[in-house]
Amino acid sequence: MAPARGALSPTFPDASPAERALADRFMAGTVDGRRGRAFEAFARTGLPHRRLEGWRWTDFRAALATLAPVTATGHGQALPVADGAVTLRFSGEEIFLPDSLPDGLILHTKADAPALAGAEEAPMAALAAALAGRGTGPDTVILEVCGRVAEPVHIVCEGGGAEVNFARIAVIVRPGGALDLVESHLGGAGLSSVLIEIDVAASGQLRRTLSQRGDAHEAQAITALVHLDEGASYIQTALAFGARVARIETRLVHRGTGSAAVLNGVYLCAGGQHVDFTSHVRHGAPACTTRQVTKGAVLKGGRGVFQGKFLVPRDIGQHTDADMQHQALLLEQGAEVFAKPELEIYADDVECAHGNTSGALDPDMLFYLRQRGIPLTEARAMLTQAFIAEALAAAGGGTHEALSAAASRFLSGVSL
Amino acid sequence: MLKLTDLTASVGEAGEARTILNGLSLEVPAGEVHAIMGPNGAGKSTLSYVLTGKAGYEVSGGSAWLDGHDLLALDPEERAALGLFLSFQYPLEVPGVPVMTFVRAAMNAQRKARGEAEISAPDFIKMARDIGKELNLSADMLKRPLNVGFSGGEKKRLEIFQMRMLEPRFAILDETDSGLDIDALRIVAEGVNALRSPERGMLVITHYQRLLDYIVPDKVHVLSHGRVILTGGPELALRLEKEGYDGIEGAAA
Repeated sequence: MAPARGALSPTFPDASPAERALADRFMAGTVDGRRGRAFEAFARTGLPHRRLEGWRWTDFRAALATLAPVTATGHGQALPVADGAVTLRFSGEEIFLPDSLPDGLILHTKADAPALAGAEEAPMAALAAALAGRGTGPDTVILEVCGRVAEPVHIVCEGGGAEVNFARIAVIVRPGGALDLVESHLGGAGLSSVLIEIDVAASGQLRRTLSQRGDAHEAQAITALVHLDEGASYIQTALAFGARVARIETRLVHRGTGSAAVLNGVYLCAGGQHVDFTSHVRHGAPACTTRQVTKGAVLKGGRGVFQGKFLVPRDIGQHTDADMQHQALLLEQGAEVFAKPELEIYADDVECAHGNTSGALDPDMLFYLRQRGIPLTEARAMLTQAFIAEALAAAGGGTHEALSAAASRFLSGVSL
Repeated sequence: MLKLTDLTASVGEAGEARTILNGLSLEVPAGEVHAIMGPNGAGKSTLSYVLTGKAGYEVSGGSAWLDGHDLLALDPEERAALGLFLSFQYPLEVPGVPVMTFVRAAMNAQRKARGEAEISAPDFIKMARDIGKELNLSADMLKRPLNVGFSGGEKKRLEIFQMRMLEPRFAILDETDSGLDIDALRIVAEGVNALRSPERGMLVITHYQRLLDYIVPDKVHVLSHGRVILTGGPELALRLEKEGYDGIEGAAA
């Protein structure tokens, strides 16, 4: 059932031009009930802004006055992925899917949008669910992993200069299945929002590695909704360079006993670039583990945001073992980092820890390197690279070297 | 080679600055090893930091020349490229940077600054292995992050390892003997003595005479309140050991 346009207006009382343009896009296409509910969930808040819980430091509404095409078609190259990788490319209204698939992988496409549970908690994901695939392509691409897939799957999102780029991808790992998922988010649209729904069944494994780039004319949201069953393993590594606003959000639920998650991330922000790493992990089953290391390095005029939450409910969360670390380097005066680590624990037999630091490079350490003859710029790059290395160590799909090299290029280009 | 004239320096913010070096003059010709001794607070470590260019020290007078270069006008890395090396009293831990990576980066940065070619990987590895063996540093230790988890003695040996690898023109050893047992002291001293040569100068800063049994200096300078109050031969160190700094300071006053 299509909600009438009028039904939207009460929840969009003071819609910005960009929000009106999004509503017009929504009304212009076929509208089914699930899309309608997803768009309503988005319209309840509109583009998230600083007065909303969880969006205080990342204001999409302010960053996106209007929806406009951009001059950049994309930024940089897609990650070089191990041989035999399968590529799925999402570019504006065009979706390119592979002709052949490796053993153990099945690709489904759906012309209608599946329901999105928890859409209210993730407005940018709800927007992607409402607007993905309105062109010639399918609305949802589903990757079903039925065995241990040897070749990585590479998702490339590159707007090609469009106003918007929306994508919705589901990854379903069947019991005992395993996949390396690599994502290159290259921007190239005024607004990009990508929704990845991941279900890892018992003893399944998914390793997700992503890289994000954008510029000061772009807003990007990458939202992953992850569910882990008994004994499942999920390892995420993200390297982000930011955009006018870029939010990499992971909402993960441990749903089966003994599942394990690693959520690592690195943000490197030059002037005018903004990266927000937000995560919400619910330990909804006993004896699950979460390890999270987020590292950041920010230059003058850049802004890094880390918001991490572990929620451990009474009874079902017993024997949780979780650790959250966020460490940021402010490389210059005028760099900004905002951090909100949260542990909300109701179970009594758990091990949960968190650490949060931000500061400059240790001047004594810098002097030590310089005394040995290493010039200041190189010394800074060397120490910063060493500082972030831990958070990239678990990268998969043969991308580790490329991620380290990308970080290194950024850091050695920094002449302070 | 190294010529310090009336060097005056202070530490601390303006208004609360304390003068630590107070008209220090000293000359170390090429080929000589000089010792600097003095009580705590005499300015020994400050001298090493002022010469190598650490931030936070304000030089208000005097000069410091190395091989005809005005050290005080140069950045720390430029001084290093001239061949000035400091063995730190408290070597820093550098997590995530393996010893070998670090030393090779330092060596090549210095070579680049001097307009020389980089060292080849096989040459570097062979050199590191040979010098590591002399200093009782295993190949495994050289792969670990610099100084991280190393004992006090291991850190000092690693300083000497770096010095041997970088082959400086002029080395300052700041209390290299502190925290060393007698065996480690001997290994470190042998490492230092191996570098003694007619083209090279050294300044050995120490609180105790003990190190000078192993590294026999050409001259000993006694530092007090930021200036050299007495200069003599190796026998001066023995006299200090016997009479204490109070006795010497009293006699020199």
